[in-house]
Amino acid sequence: MLGLITGLIVFPMITGVLCLLPVFQDDRRRNLFTASVLGLNFIFVLLCFAQEGSFDLLHLSDHLSLRFMFDGAGRFFLLLAGLMFLMVGIYSFEYMTHEHNRPRFYVFYLLTLGALNGVCLAGNYMTLYCFFELMSLLSMPLVLHSQTEESISAAKKYLLYSVFGASLGLGGFFLFTVYGGSTNFVTGGVIANELHQLQLSSELLFQRNMLLIGAFLAIVGFGAKAGMMPLHAWLPTAHPVAPACASAVLSGVITKAGVLAIMRVVYFLYGSSFLCSTWVQYAWLMLILITVLVGSTLAYKEKILKKRLAYSSVSQVSYILFGLAGLNTWSLTGALLHAAAHSMIKDVLFMGAGSIIMHGHTERADKIDGLGLKMPVTFACITVASLGLIGIPPLFGYISKWYLCTGSLIAHHNFFGWLGPVVLLISALLTAGYLFTLTINGYLKKEETESDAHEAGFLMLAPMLILCTLILICGLFPNLVTQLIEFVNTLA
Amino acid sequence: MNYLMMIAIAFPIIWGACLPLLHYKEADRSSRNKYALTGTLITSALVLLNVFTFKSNAGFQLIQLTDKMSIVFDVDALSCVFLCLIAILWPLAVLYAWEYMHHEGKENKFFSFYLMTYGIVIGLACSANLITFYLLYECLTFATIPLVMHAMNRRAIKAGRKYFMYSIAGAATAFVGIMFLVNYGTSLDFIYGGTLDLVKIGSQQNLILFGYILTFFGFGVKAAVFPFHGWLPSAGVAPTPVTALLHAVAVVKAGVFAIMRVTYYSFGAAFLSGTWAQSIVLSFACFTIVFGSVCAWKQQHLKKRFAYSTISNLSYILLGVGMMNAQGLCAGLAHMLIHGIMKICLFFCVGVVMEKTHREYVPEIEGMGRVMPITFGCFTIGSLSLSGIPLFAGFISKAALGTAAVSSGLPLGLAGLCALLISAVLTAAYTFEIVIKAFFPSKGFNTRHLREFKDPSWQMKTPLIVLSVLMILIGLHGTELMNLLSKIAMNLM
Repeated sequence: MLGLITGLIVFPMITGVLCLLPVFQDDRRRNLFTASVLGLNFIFVLLCFAQEGSFDLLHLSDHLSLRFMFDGAGRFFLLLAGLMFLMVGIYSFEYMTHEHNRPRFYVFYLLTLGALNGVCLAGNYMTLYCFFELMSLLSMPLVLHSQTEESISAAKKYLLYSVFGASLGLGGFFLFTVYGGSTNFVTGGVIANELHQLQLSSELLFQRNMLLIGAFLAIVGFGAKAGMMPLHAWLPTAHPVAPACASAVLSGVITKAGVLAIMRVVYFLYGSSFLCSTWVQYAWLMLILITVLVGSTLAYKEKILKKRLAYSSVSQVSYILFGLAGLNTWSLTGALLHAAAHSMIKDVLFMGAGSIIMHGHTERADKIDGLGLKMPVTFACITVASLGLIGIPPLFGYISKWYLCTGSLIAHHNFFGWLGPVVLLISALLTAGYLFTLTINGYLKKEETESDAHEAGFLMLAPMLILCTLILICGLFPNLVTQLIEFVNTLA
Repeated sequence: MNYLMMIAIAFPIIWGACLPLLHYKEADRSSRNKYALTGTLITSALVLLNVFTFKSNAGFQLIQLTDKMSIVFDVDALSCVFLCLIAILWPLAVLYAWEYMHHEGKENKFFSFYLMTYGIVIGLACSANLITFYLLYECLTFATIPLVMHAMNRRAIKAGRKYFMYSIAGAATAFVGIMFLVNYGTSLDFIYGGTLDLVKIGSQQNLILFGYILTFFGFGVKAAVFPFHGWLPSAGVAPTPVTALLHAVAVVKAGVFAIMRVTYYSFGAAFLSGTWAQSIVLSFACFTIVFGSVCAWKQQHLKKRFAYSTISNLSYILLGVGMMNAQGLCAGLAHMLIHGIMKICLFFCVGVVMEKTHREYVPEIEGMGRVMPITFGCFTIGSLSLSGIPLFAGFISKAALGTAAVSSGLPLGLAGLCALLISAVLTAAYTFEIVIKAFFPSKGFNTRHLREFKDPSWQMKTPLIVLSVLMILIGLHGTELMNLLSKIAMNLM
């Protein structure tokens, strides 16, 4: 186990720093090196599937320890992260040619991967918090990569939101250590049975309320990374200024770290039955539904391509959270399926946006008329991904929505039961509105002015095509993914 | 053993006082610096020897003033914490001052007072009763004024005067509080659990609490509690070794140490716990935490930014102390140690920038991370630690403080938790702003004119590296330290 931990966390970090060596000033050599590191990382992830269990690595003090854990949820997110980082990494080799300071990008790219793997492997609250903070700090240089005034202030905003969110999470940690007990993640939660009862003595009631406050703090705090309101504002600021490959991982994978963190807190510390039908669940659902609607609406109105995609992420990641907040097996299955679907789809969309920016020379969604004819493959990929995100069978994306809606109707016997599906439906319409315009304008409208736009190269197209194929395969054979997430049956 | 302790107190004072008699000329820099460093190292060795062989209740009575008051020195567990901190940091600061003080000049005077201050702080830590403590507390003010006014220009003199007025007024207020103890206590000795005589107090509990509040704010002046924090940012005109060691560790921690002493060893935590006095202490601590961080965030002058940060962090310690239980004291002690290490490192880094480039404001450090990698590397580690990122030392004490605040069960404990979390965000904001500026200059920034700058000599680099390594080591493995501190806080040593 220790070997795998080293391979997944320390290895990418060390190799990341090695990218600074003079040997790797040469682009070809560095790209080969990075690709092999990402490939190896993916192999390590696959090796994880033979592992189960947890252990303490290091005691920081009596109550704080670095603890790692191999379990279904962690592995699922590890797999997502490994796959996406590999794909986006390959894409970046060509994309980064028009950016300066390339070695530095790969340093922080690999460091972020290491920290992200740490988040997936964390076995207790402290370790989760630790890698969460590290991930925020290490991914910050990806945002400010171009070092324009705008990107630097965006990076600061990103950092502040992340640190503030993590701080709230830490507040939840303190409340939990004092009132809840051990913070090691255990399937089904660790809260004592006597707190589950409805009739409680005043002392226990106080304890229960404190725990609920802690849960809410943690959800809102970690929700900052997942773009949940009210801490969502960093997403639309940070994504447009970062290089496309950075926004792809930020949006496709790193937001999922927020999802995983919330999932760990809700299902592995508090337990779904403790939070079920409490004010925390309802407040959380309200925040989620507002985020879904507002995110879609803003995306619909946004003209800058990457900003539109960022708002779309705000809304889509909250679909996943909606599943988590359902606190039942159906919703949870839907959440994890949507996490996988959204990772792939949003990565394709951001990569497509990157190639439009790089080879189509425009950043605006209303200036892409006719580009589809010059960049047919890019636009085909964008179209497939759009269809997936809207939820049209047989592409991956419709299954998760189906699970989410069914789960919602099963779970909530009050008005949330139907409000959720209604909001998802409205949002799906808006999604169609803001994504289809890309395809329609790209393919069907006539170009206004002649430009030298041309199709992207092989290295950029290959990952997009692979992911599109995956979206199709997963949509046709959803069992492939549901097998991976069978562990949800033990959680809710 | 008693004599060993007295030697440790007297030696640096005598050694420092002798320095001007040796008539070192400007050209004798190196021999004078070696003289100063030798003195400091010997003293630190004596102090550590004392710490490792300490036996409580083996006090040494120097003078009997009246039958109630006497000058007595004794080492107990709490002294050891403070002694260890200064014994490690003082030699590093002297080493740092070797090169730094070259451009400030008047080094004879500087090192002389610097060494004498060392002796006084050791005495302060070893005081066995309030009268001794009070005496040395006043001495500390007098010994450090020449250091604050070192530059002797108008700003420095003004800052020195401000520092003097604040300190004397504070000490006087604290003295009034001490008089309450003389009247209502059994003795002025420091005894864990307090020395108040409950029979004498009778129903006059509020009067005693008022006395405690007077002492708290009196000593709180040196601990920079709002609204008595004003002297600390002004005193930033002093040379960096002074700001770093005295205004981030020795002097301000003496104030905090005084509050720990009167709270846990004179008035007694059990007596104060749950009273309105505790509420006042906690609310002022909470407010100062947020206030200091906000000011630091808005401040553009590098040294002043960290002075405000110190104000905020000192109140972290007071928040722990104000919990009035062993867990809180333990957290406070941990932050006292760890903050000392972090803040001195950050001040040293800022000092390097000021000494090497004569730049003093945040926007001016753009792009310097490239030319001074070690300085800004250490600065980054200090920032990570100060913001409380796990795996670095600051997190250990922040976690202890947060847990203590929540488990106290007081509403103000939760307010303290909020203050801690808000301040953590602001801390990240004001430290990482500098890190980002230094390492990622904005596009089109011309680095050519920075080429003349480089990392300092080994004398200045060594302290930075040693302190950074310490921060990481404590951050990775703080178990023994925390266990030791919690034993001390429960008076089990």
